[in-house]
Amino acid sequence: MAERIVVTSLGILSALGNGVAANLQALQQQQPGLRYPQLLQTIHAREFLLGEVRYSNDELSAMLGLPTGNNGYTRTTLLAMVAMQEVLKGIDKKELQDEGFAFINANTVGGMCSVEDMYEDFLSDNTSEESLKYIDTLDCAESTQNVTKHFGLKPFTATLSTACSSSGNAIILGARLIQHGIVKRAICGGCDALSRFTLNGFHSLKNVDKQPARPFDNTRFGLNLGEGAGYVLLETEKSAKERGAEIIAVLSGYANTNDAYHPTAPNPNGDGAYSTMQLALQKAQLQTTDINYINAHGTATTANDAAEGKAIERLFDGHTPHFSSTKPYTGHTLAAAGVIEAIFSIGALQQQMVWPSLNHTSQMEEVSIAPTTQLIENAGINHVLSNSFGFGGNNVSLIFSRA
Amino acid sequence: MMQPVYISAASALSPQHSFGTDAPLQPVMSSDNGRLYVQDADYSKFINPVAIRRMSRMLKIGISTGMDCLRQSGIEKPDGIITGTGRGSMRDMEIFLGDMLRLKEEALNPTYFIQSTYNSINGWLALQTKCTGYNQTYVHRGHSLEMALLDAQLLLNETTDKQHYLVGSFDEFTDEYFVVKNKIGYWKQPTPHSLDLYKHNDTPGSIGGEGSAFFMVTNEKENALFSIAALQMLQDYTPAEVDATITRILEENKILLRDVDVILCGMSGDSRFDGIYKPLFNNTTVHTTVGAFKHLCGEYDTSTGFALWLAAQAFKTQQVPDAIIQKKGINPSVKTVLIVNHYILNSASVMLLRANS
Repeated sequence: MAERIVVTSLGILSALGNGVAANLQALQQQQPGLRYPQLLQTIHAREFLLGEVRYSNDELSAMLGLPTGNNGYTRTTLLAMVAMQEVLKGIDKKELQDEGFAFINANTVGGMCSVEDMYEDFLSDNTSEESLKYIDTLDCAESTQNVTKHFGLKPFTATLSTACSSSGNAIILGARLIQHGIVKRAICGGCDALSRFTLNGFHSLKNVDKQPARPFDNTRFGLNLGEGAGYVLLETEKSAKERGAEIIAVLSGYANTNDAYHPTAPNPNGDGAYSTMQLALQKAQLQTTDINYINAHGTATTANDAAEGKAIERLFDGHTPHFSSTKPYTGHTLAAAGVIEAIFSIGALQQQMVWPSLNHTSQMEEVSIAPTTQLIENAGINHVLSNSFGFGGNNVSLIFSRA
Repeated sequence: MMQPVYISAASALSPQHSFGTDAPLQPVMSSDNGRLYVQDADYSKFINPVAIRRMSRMLKIGISTGMDCLRQSGIEKPDGIITGTGRGSMRDMEIFLGDMLRLKEEALNPTYFIQSTYNSINGWLALQTKCTGYNQTYVHRGHSLEMALLDAQLLLNETTDKQHYLVGSFDEFTDEYFVVKNKIGYWKQPTPHSLDLYKHNDTPGSIGGEGSAFFMVTNEKENALFSIAALQMLQDYTPAEVDATITRILEENKILLRDVDVILCGMSGDSRFDGIYKPLFNNTTVHTTVGAFKHLCGEYDTSTGFALWLAAQAFKTQQVPDAIIQKKGINPSVKTVLIVNHYILNSASVMLLRANS
């Protein structure tokens, strides 16, 4: 029997604010973080509501004690560093380092947020000194390496990218590295900054909604994009007890599968989502009736919500627990979505609350289940299921349980 | 203690003749412009004919290599698919970015955006093989393929079933990548002929390359070509740390340096990174053949894929091609191979491979 993997520290930065407390408070007060972008420079700024983190790059740099201006750090990295700062608060970095830990980061477009503003200068004959500071920042591992350097850490590092399920996969990998004894602890999560590249990419696919996204609603059209970063510290229960750390939640189950159906669209019957949730339950040795809340992927695209809704309805077979999507609060934060929603799931366990789905007015015709639209308090939550499904058919489900 | 994993098939598309040929590396391909590009193959044999029309070169290369590896292994549907890439589909990203800048965010073609996502080749391989199992893409610069291999090793140690994972890498070299990275000293000046790369290892810089390599990684010893006995990644390493890692790995596996038949070195002709290879030349005795591979494939994030493919060929044929030999050893067979590699952004890796006996 493998040792229980527990969560002992959290860090998050999203459109809802900086830190776990600010984020959970916004969820509780049903205050979404979407706005027309004030920082992202795009011709679509008056068109699309985005989950933009409120702080400018200079403000983020100041929070980290870094020089402002073009300091060579992309917004992706700055978001990651601020979230990491929260995870590391109160952690003995020397103990962490000496006993061996991993930093598993997830990302979808690296430092595109900076590169897209400088790319023409990169290609020109006279690239400016300012641009040169960013010339090695396009790839996904840039944020991983800069975060570890900034905090003076030298962990086992890895970066992965499976589109919108990326940071769910980071959590799974961290847990597995611990179970194999390769590291004692793992800080896992992901980061993505808004960029014109991704906004226009999703827009070209015609699945960005100009209205606030309406997950699991019959009038849904598409997603709102967002940005953010989040990390969780994982370790064995034994390791947490050894250092007297508070156990926030137990990572009791997880699964990774692929739809093998289409490059971007999910299997319309939700077969992929179904088997992913089912495998995560098996891993956790839980029954469907044990799950008290599902934090759904719920992007509010036509395809995802139909597939995911059908999968939930079929798997939970007349006993669908509370489910909601928190994406209308944060926007879809892509590589950060899995971990941000993992943190919201853990918050639901801690505070015994079901976060209400926003903007739901009409029953989806594809299913007969509906998301929970009111805040439920004293919700009696023992186990939460969190879904992340991505392009390329990459599916992840995680189950968090009460400590 | 983790059990070793076995490689039962290997396929590579590279700047050399490496794909679907009975005469690998013949003739040796070279270039004098600092760039080595993949030798194109007939991709239509491996990809759905409708889908292939819109696919970029990187997708065709990656998917074809993966499918050829499956064909060689005789496994139609693997238990999972794991890839590593430093750059993803670079050209798709450049086109979408360039169009977005030029067209001022209007009327963009989503195909380039979709294909530019790092996991798109993984998705296609899953789709073509109907593999709904584990699926993962590592994007960790010079450790991308190494992470994919490690993940497969973890998975195979998490089960008692006989399982097979398709594990591979792909990276693409583009004109824009050449221009951009030229500004920060990636490429050697003046540009050497690729086959003369190591004659200039007193100056910084290398030559650019690309390629894709896929392997069937399994816990089934039977019919395997070789095993990965050890795999170690180092970040922000010193040459002494790499040296100590090699010593430790050999000790743990009870192998003397003289019993290592072949060492494949990832030296790139770059004086800044030559430090980890010098001890390998100095410490090896007459027994060991020391080879190199980046004059044949160029420098890129996942060049260890090409080296691992070369190793597979050496195990299979029990011969080391002259084109890679830097120092010829006298050991008569190929039973033990060590791959030592670095990548420009301060990463290194060491792999110990053993013939299946």
